[in-house]
Amino acid sequence: MIFSSLRVPASEFAATTGWEAKPQGMCRGEVCVPAPGALDSGVVNVEVAAERLGMPIVHDADHGVWSLGAAMAMGRTLATAVAQFPSSLIDAMGRGFDFASLRGRRIIMIAWASW
Amino acid sequence: MVTVALDIDPAHAKPWIDAASPTHPSLIDTTHCTNDLFGFINVPMAVWIDENGVLVRPAEQASIERSPARDMQIPDGIPDRLKQMMTEVKSIPDDSAAYRAALLDWVRNGSASPYAMTPDEVVEASRPMSHDSSLAGACFAMGEHLNRTVGHDAAVPYWRRAHALDPDNWTYKRQAWTLVTTPEGATENDLMQGPNDVYSGNWLDDVLAAGGGSNYYVRAKLEPPK
Repeated sequence: MIFSSLRVPASEFAATTGWEAKPQGMCRGEVCVPAPGALDSGVVNVEVAAERLGMPIVHDADHGVWSLGAAMAMGRTLATAVAQFPSSLIDAMGRGFDFASLRGRRIIMIAWASW
Repeated sequence: MVTVALDIDPAHAKPWIDAASPTHPSLIDTTHCTNDLFGFINVPMAVWIDENGVLVRPAEQASIERSPARDMQIPDGIPDRLKQMMTEVKSIPDDSAAYRAALLDWVRNGSASPYAMTPDEVVEASRPMSHDSSLAGACFAMGEHLNRTVGHDAAVPYWRRAHALDPDNWTYKRQAWTLVTTPEGATENDLMQGPNDVYSGNWLDDVLAAGGGSNYYVRAKLEPPK
């Protein structure tokens, strides 16, 4: 998860990480982690949120970007069984895909690779 | 069915998708974000998601038919490394028949299937997230970003670090390796991923270090949980 700033709009943080900044904390599905100071006027303090969620931060100073690791707050890859569908997936023509189009259907999502 | 190619360059996955002419959504994950979101650390792996968008099985090895590679004869006279690779491939456990049967049971029976886990069971069965594995993800993502925006050489130090932090993550390794072992101009990515001048690891030596082909995958636990 790449950021070019440590202060990002809450919507951007949610879209990138799957964690929404709410009054009760950083939330994903039904899981919320208290994170006082993470949200201020619609802007997420990435360092505070990352610290509360147990997300390591890697900084490349030469290129001015930060990379966030997955949250360790729950100790497992999945903080919740509610599926988080990424908006970054594309088809072979480079178009985005709306997982909402599959709502109401059982899905097997299979990972493969050309390598 | 939704397929997701873990390829940082969509051009690598596209020919395979085009050749398959799939009727299902065939997507490409250029940042390997599905590793963080679902736990795909090797391929093929799959998650099952019910009609309400809730996972009923965590990321597991997902084969539905026995690979011909398992039954291949190892020819005489081939180089030792190739012979060893084929030996390890043949030693990878084959759960395809059981996985196929479980999948079909869930397709037919939904939440009544004994193979559909509860949400708590799915979370508990998902891969433990350690500081090192999470940091590896951050490093891999940084490498992918720099590979795309700056160039391959900028990515290498981060990918080396990712490999060291999370040696069980084969997607980080194989994605990086293939970029240096695939000859320029090749029409397909190299699958052998042998010793190279950029990374200390390669497929065969890393598989052997992990205990061989029998330890290569996160096997599906198909004993009915209920």
